[in-house]
Amino acid sequence: MDIFYHLSSDIIAILITLKLAIITCFFLALIGTPLAYFLAFKSKKTKPYIETIVTLPLVLPPTVIGFYLIIFFSPETTLGKIFIMLTGEQLIFSFYGLVLASIIYSLPFWVQPLQASFEKIGRDTIWTSHSLGAGLLDTFFNVIIPLSKKGFLTSFIISFAHTLGEFGIVLMVGGGIHGKTKVIAISIYDHVEQLSFDKAHILAGGMLILSFIILLTLFHFNKRTVVRVK
Amino acid sequence: MSNLSVLLKGKIGSLFLNFEHTFKNDGITILCGPNGSGKTTIISVLGGFIKNIETRIIFNGNEIKDIDKYTHYKRPFGIMFQNPILFDHLNVEENLDFVIKRQKSKSQNKILISKEYLINHLELTSLLKRSPENLSGGEKLRVVLARTILKQPNYLLLDEPMSDLDLKYKAKLLIFLKDFNKQFKIPILYITHSIEEISQIGDQIVLIKDGKKIDSGSVTNVLNRNSFIDLIGKFEISSLLEGIVVNYDQMLNITTLDLDGQKLIVPGLPGNLKNIVRVRIRSRDILLSPSRLETNITENELQGVISSIEIEDNSAFSELVIRLKNLKNNEKIQKIRSRITTYNLKKMKLLINDSVFIYISSVSIDRQAYQST
Repeated sequence: MDIFYHLSSDIIAILITLKLAIITCFFLALIGTPLAYFLAFKSKKTKPYIETIVTLPLVLPPTVIGFYLIIFFSPETTLGKIFIMLTGEQLIFSFYGLVLASIIYSLPFWVQPLQASFEKIGRDTIWTSHSLGAGLLDTFFNVIIPLSKKGFLTSFIISFAHTLGEFGIVLMVGGGIHGKTKVIAISIYDHVEQLSFDKAHILAGGMLILSFIILLTLFHFNKRTVVRVK
Repeated sequence: MSNLSVLLKGKIGSLFLNFEHTFKNDGITILCGPNGSGKTTIISVLGGFIKNIETRIIFNGNEIKDIDKYTHYKRPFGIMFQNPILFDHLNVEENLDFVIKRQKSKSQNKILISKEYLINHLELTSLLKRSPENLSGGEKLRVVLARTILKQPNYLLLDEPMSDLDLKYKAKLLIFLKDFNKQFKIPILYITHSIEEISQIGDQIVLIKDGKKIDSGSVTNVLNRNSFIDLIGKFEISSLLEGIVVNYDQMLNITTLDLDGQKLIVPGLPGNLKNIVRVRIRSRDILLSPSRLETNITENELQGVISSIEIEDNSAFSELVIRLKNLKNNEKIQKIRSRITTYNLKKMKLLINDSVFIYISSVSIDRQAYQST
């Protein structure tokens, strides 16, 4: 009985993790893509400052980000109050608090590969498109996006994988509430703490295999395109 | 008469542009100058891609400003950038269709030049389904040129289009451009500093240095001027001569040109009978003599009068300009430049207004430079 209960609770954790990663990537596409475009083509003087802010989550200890987010999400702040007004529950320890935190700490993983990909396309390609009569949005959707397919795939895969694996911030902001904010990484931690190594094995092994497949797909795809370019 | 009148003033990077010129609305105008003189910048400004300088561009009576109607993707120019780019995610035909689709939505532009015309004349049939990544430099260039022309532009701006192209392609493409220009009456602004390209297709030429225009005029005139020689260096100095095709010997494959009453024999068949053709002769390939030589050493003997002599300082050479005798007594004056050693000049005791005999081997007449006008 006990083992079935845990299995089903693990399945719920898996579903929450996948849902979190998908929603996070969706918002990253909306926020991170224009940001990458701006950094690649538009910003000049502001570029180092924006790049620094976007990259910060990469170097800061997760506990530092988690600490500030807890303060930032608390019901006393404007953001916290607005969220309570809209949903009736507080942002901290909620699933949407988790999404917001994931967007922030995965932002550099979305922006950087895409920015590099945009920069590789270069100004000349954009000028060529304009000179052929394609406007700004036309050029973005019909030239830049198709030419940075590889960049989008890399951004998506790395951001997705990174969101799946984050532990520190997720624990601090979400609290690991079963059925709500408890993701795979926290489940594994709980299993190990309770010395249920067999259950930890299933989840940890699953994550290992999934991460392996994700990265292999990414590197395989990238290698193939490099060869084709030559 | 609708011309392209341009006034550009401003600082771009380290270049201070102060350029004013009215480009003719027919023929091919060459824009020539050393690297960094502002040639590419002028095209970028015309295209609306460089904005922060003072401009006054008047084309067909309308001022082209950076306002919505003439924002950079709505200007009536067809631009081929120095580094020609095809969109790698589309195949060759889709690259051509890219501009056709965007042209169809603008009803005011009539479709003058068809896709089929360009596919035929630029030999693109076998390339249509290929990816741009697998094209050679020459193939890529032809596709980019076709795509630029398919925009149905009112003025074509080409930035050193042939700079890294082998000679075989180059000759073909230059002929294509010349014919295209004549047939569709679309004026071309062509950036190059290759003397072959200038003499082959240029009608007008504008010389630019450090962002300023230093000279302009017809190619045949400007090529003989010091302003041009200062720009491209003395070694390549040459003269352009125009003559009418009067005879073609099929057996020997040589053509006789009539140069205002004098005869010039050139190899091959540069143009049809009675057409005017242009040939280029390097000044170092010309032999001079104060008296007629009883010799068959060269095919050609021309007569002229020395109109100027320039003895160069710190060099072994002298530059002579010789006015060719006009035996037909028409208005036309053709000049030929000769570069000889100062030693030889002194030995022959040549002075201004002396008559000279000019000997030119037909082999040294530039076969690439033929052009019917």
